Amino acid sequence: MRRRDPDAEQFRRSRIELSRMGGLQTGFGLWPGVRVATLALAAAVAFGAAQARAQSVEELQQLSIGELSNLDVSSVSKAAQPLSEAPASIFVITHDDIARSGATTVPEMLRLAPNLFVAQTSASDYVVTARGFSGNSQAQSFSDKLLVLIDGRTVYTPLFSGVYWDMQGVLPEDIDRIEVISGPGATLWGANAVNGVINIITRKSYETQGGFAEVGGGNLQRYAAARYGGRISPSLTWRAYVQEVYGTDTLTSTGAPASDHWSRPQGGFRLDWTPRASDTVTLQGDAYYGTEVATTSIGGGNLTARWNHNWAGGSNLQVQAFFDRVVRGTDNAGGSGFWQNIYDLDAQNSFRLGERNLIVWGGGVRFTQYKIAGAGSLQFSPPARTLDLENGFVQDTITLAKPLKLTLGLKLEDDPYAGLSVLPSARLAWTPSQSLMFWAAVSRAIRSPTPFDADVREFAGPTLFLKGNPAFETEKLTAYEVGVRAQPFSRFSFSASGFFNVYNDLRNIEFTPGSFVPLFWGNGMEGYTYGFEGWGQFQATNWWRLMAGLNLLSEHLKFEPGASTLLGIPQNVNDPSRQATLRSSMNLGPKVTLDADLRYVGVLPDPHVPSYVELNGRIGWAVTPKLELAVSGFNLLHDHHQEFPGPAGQVPRSVFAEVRARF
Amino acid sequence: MSTGRSATVLILLALLVFGSARADEPLELAVKATYLYKLAPFVTWPASAWSDQNAPLVICIQGKDPFGPLVDRAIAGQRVAGRPVAIRRLARIDAGSGCQIAYIGGSDAQPQPSALREIGKAPVLTVTDDPRGAAAGDIELVLQDGRVRFVIDNGQAQQQGLAISSKLLALAVRVKR
Repeated sequence: MRRRDPDAEQFRRSRIELSRMGGLQTGFGLWPGVRVATLALAAAVAFGAAQARAQSVEELQQLSIGELSNLDVSSVSKAAQPLSEAPASIFVITHDDIARSGATTVPEMLRLAPNLFVAQTSASDYVVTARGFSGNSQAQSFSDKLLVLIDGRTVYTPLFSGVYWDMQGVLPEDIDRIEVISGPGATLWGANAVNGVINIITRKSYETQGGFAEVGGGNLQRYAAARYGGRISPSLTWRAYVQEVYGTDTLTSTGAPASDHWSRPQGGFRLDWTPRASDTVTLQGDAYYGTEVATTSIGGGNLTARWNHNWAGGSNLQVQAFFDRVVRGTDNAGGSGFWQNIYDLDAQNSFRLGERNLIVWGGGVRFTQYKIAGAGSLQFSPPARTLDLENGFVQDTITLAKPLKLTLGLKLEDDPYAGLSVLPSARLAWTPSQSLMFWAAVSRAIRSPTPFDADVREFAGPTLFLKGNPAFETEKLTAYEVGVRAQPFSRFSFSASGFFNVYNDLRNIEFTPGSFVPLFWGNGMEGYTYGFEGWGQFQATNWWRLMAGLNLLSEHLKFEPGASTLLGIPQNVNDPSRQATLRSSMNLGPKVTLDADLRYVGVLPDPHVPSYVELNGRIGWAVTPKLELAVSGFNLLHDHHQEFPGPAGQVPRSVFAEVRARF
Repeated sequence: MSTGRSATVLILLALLVFGSARADEPLELAVKATYLYKLAPFVTWPASAWSDQNAPLVICIQGKDPFGPLVDRAIAGQRVAGRPVAIRRLARIDAGSGCQIAYIGGSDAQPQPSALREIGKAPVLTVTDDPRGAAAGDIELVLQDGRVRFVIDNGQAQQQGLAISSKLLALAVRVKR
């Protein structure tokens, strides 16, 4: 990647800056009173989905060897198998799902997970949450409680714990699966796994040999990609790819172009080396550079190295190191922005202890170097720092009895602002039969303070208006979850889970007694949320699969005694209490696929965004095994609709035609 | 809750309690298990490979067996060139084990390379499934673009006296000469 001089001229406006003070001031008028949402949780209708099912081994007997070699087996991948045993609310987006959705960007792929809320806010940007807390940009509260990983590399920014979705490109064709976990996940996941974990896993380079090319275009996006994979020696394979996403303008509320078009060319590689059967070594990297609205630039690059060693007895050691550089800036407001370099090293070791215990333990260190070049009204003090985050964990999965497993985990996390946190978790899985599992979990998770919580300085003219709070504490969650996952018939499977989350020390806005300003961040909110996530998958016939999902959420926050009630409850939560999806996937003969995806997203209460129903569809025609033509339609039911509060981001109806070729 | 929904929930619960359906079947494994006997019509063994005209086609699974009952179900009722098909599981394999096709899973007792060495030039079509390619048999199953494909070591097969048809060679991802 291109390294850029960390000079204020070069750094431009950050996302933080985009939604700064002006919004906060007008915010006073927006929430005259505290309105606690009173949302009823409907009865739990068990609808769920698990993995795609296809032919049984008996049905395979009918196929010719040529048909066998052309059968896509990826939807039930080997590695996804242990997941079905994981005692958590996990939805797996398969390679097949992604290929059949026509999605080219990660957040559009995430719409396939029924346990997420995905809202497009501009041509390039999205808000993605699990179990609420999509925040409120006018109160400078951003969705910041997800851990997002791409091949083991964490991609949320330590500056405010949110994710710049416009910077997370992955070639769709190379993705093996996306595991979406709602809830705190387990001890093994890294920092910031508060309300969910999104784990994007790409295929190994020996699984992506040969050439692939795609070009597509439509009224809202243009896309081009090429990949080639080769073999240097029997034990060393590689692939390299380039892709470019170009998105045209979304609309303003009056239907005029919002002039937020963008483009992001990107390239990368992956090497997989197996020097011995017991060892695998992976080296991979990406680099990208993008422009948005002509004046904002994004850029970055990353490099990850991973070594995995298996001992004969089943013990395993994994060591991973990555470097990730992110640069964001704008020419507006005199030039502001930031760069950050993350250096991360993690190791984990697993082994069996006696007959009953499976131990996983490990730890990691992460250094984040950053420099923020503020605009006049938005500054950070200090503007540059090196943050160090250390963690250590141990987890024991104890087989209490044959079908009953208890997983106890303990994680220690030392962050630069709040110091040491102790995060215990306990998970119980009861698997009375191969096709049925009940699980329950209690876990503790935190969102650590960030520079945006501790160091921000915002000015209104010469007046210091908002000040970060060096004493800001971690936001804390204790999550109680129960769930069931089952496959009562070979053609039907479902997952249902319920949660009760107790939050403490959530961020609010405080004022200085007497002078009112500067405002500063406090830890003055608390409360609870509860909800239900369910999905089911039904293989109606060999050629027709149906999937339905339901997501219910009820949020009950209040201010802690003594806290200022400025901006009210909606500063943290403005989420749909109901979402539902219905998806149909058909194979019309061996060559034609037809997919339709209907989604309902409930109303966002305050600021108000109406509920909506939208439909995506795609028809694909494999002219030959090596050439596929497809036409997709996105958001077909309305001329345009709004998904999140804001002046722009009215998402128009769009169509997209594409050609995919293999060679 | 309406009666209809109550009934649905009850039925669902009953299914949960009494349902004894099979767990999800890994398609990838099922395809690999199916390959084992579907390869046979494309291979010509020397007459010495069979004890008599009606002897079954013996598919051996050496060492680690990823298939379990899948492979037994795959061959159920199948015949190759008039011969019935049999599965035999072995911890160790050698030239005299009486297999026509051998899936080499490897084990601590006999890792893949030594199993392949023991078979040597005997007319046994060896199949491996090691994505890292550490020790490859005549047929090496590989995952490519989500499909189970194979690499054929035709040179090695010829040395064993096996003739692989051009139709199978054409389907291979790669043919080693």
